[in-house]
Amino acid sequence: MQLTVNGNEHEVDVTPDMPLLWVLRDELNITGPKYGCGIAQCGACTVHVDGVAVRSCQLAIGDLAGGEVTTIEGLAEPDSLHAVQEAWIEHQVAQCGYCQSGQIMQAASFLDLNPEPTDEDIDAAMSANLCRCGTYPRIRAAIHAAAKKLQEA
Amino acid sequence: MKFKITLAVLLAATLPVAAEVDINPPVSATETEGLEAWSRIYEVASHPRCANCHTGASDRPMWSGPSYGVTRSHGMNIRAGESRIGAEHLLCSTCHTTKDEDWDNANAMPHAAPRVAMSWQLAPVEADWFGRSSIEICEQLRDPDRNGERDMQALAEHLDHDLILHWAWKPGGGREPAPYSLQEHVNDILIWGTAGFPCPES
Repeated sequence: MQLTVNGNEHEVDVTPDMPLLWVLRDELNITGPKYGCGIAQCGACTVHVDGVAVRSCQLAIGDLAGGEVTTIEGLAEPDSLHAVQEAWIEHQVAQCGYCQSGQIMQAASFLDLNPEPTDEDIDAAMSANLCRCGTYPRIRAAIHAAAKKLQEA
Repeated sequence: MKFKITLAVLLAATLPVAAEVDINPPVSATETEGLEAWSRIYEVASHPRCANCHTGASDRPMWSGPSYGVTRSHGMNIRAGESRIGAEHLLCSTCHTTKDEDWDNANAMPHAAPRVAMSWQLAPVEADWFGRSSIEICEQLRDPDRNGERDMQALAEHLDHDLILHWAWKPGGGREPAPYSLQEHVNDILIWGTAGFPCPES
């Protein structure tokens, strides 16, 4: 079975019902996407498929249908971080960091859909990405900052 | 519109696919038979597998029924927005990913997000069923201005083609399915329609 991750083509020998997260972590050793719950309750495994956020624990590799996968490892441009990553560093969002790759991937996809979000929009978009450290106020601030960066870019 | 990705693109995967039921209206049906059919239709429409995503003006899907215990809004502050697919906030398809049409056992895991072979979404605002009475739902479903301009045949074909609706009868994950079967439900729609869409008076 073939798939494209971060612009690189891969061939994997797995059953079609294997979740994409398993393929990424166990078969391709791409460990940025994290295993949190396995049932779409936490968002730690969020990646992009064709630029749109998806919980990789919920997408079987057989259902990928040729979609191009981007993980946190492939979000940045070769010579610069994504605006969301820059804002994350500037606001020192992460505490333990386990959920943060999912948070960043969700935020990047969200800003593609909604470039000028309100606090309410952010809360509605990001509430399905859990953070046990409670970094939510910094997540919200960083998303506003990233939105501004993307507007000015 | 401030959203960059058009709804047309996001809804591209919602095109009708399968045809699983026979649509054979009866030659005739009495009002009594129509009301009996409606009673069964209401059992389906008001069942949590259907009503939880028919929340009317609210853009918040519900969690109710035996699988959930206490009735409450969908966890995680989920809002489907005016788009009804979550485009303004969080796309339903982020978690309710789109599965291959031929994979029947995709929803076996309890508590995971149900998946079908089309984009997950909330029902239109007009199809306001959650907590509504039999009369309220009956009058909405027979009103072309509020049912998507569907006649009896179109209602039956909608049930045949909309794969989220099919999920209601095979939800998996320990969830209670909607009563009767998809075919029996379509048959009841046809009896009710042939009888002239009678609604109960009380």
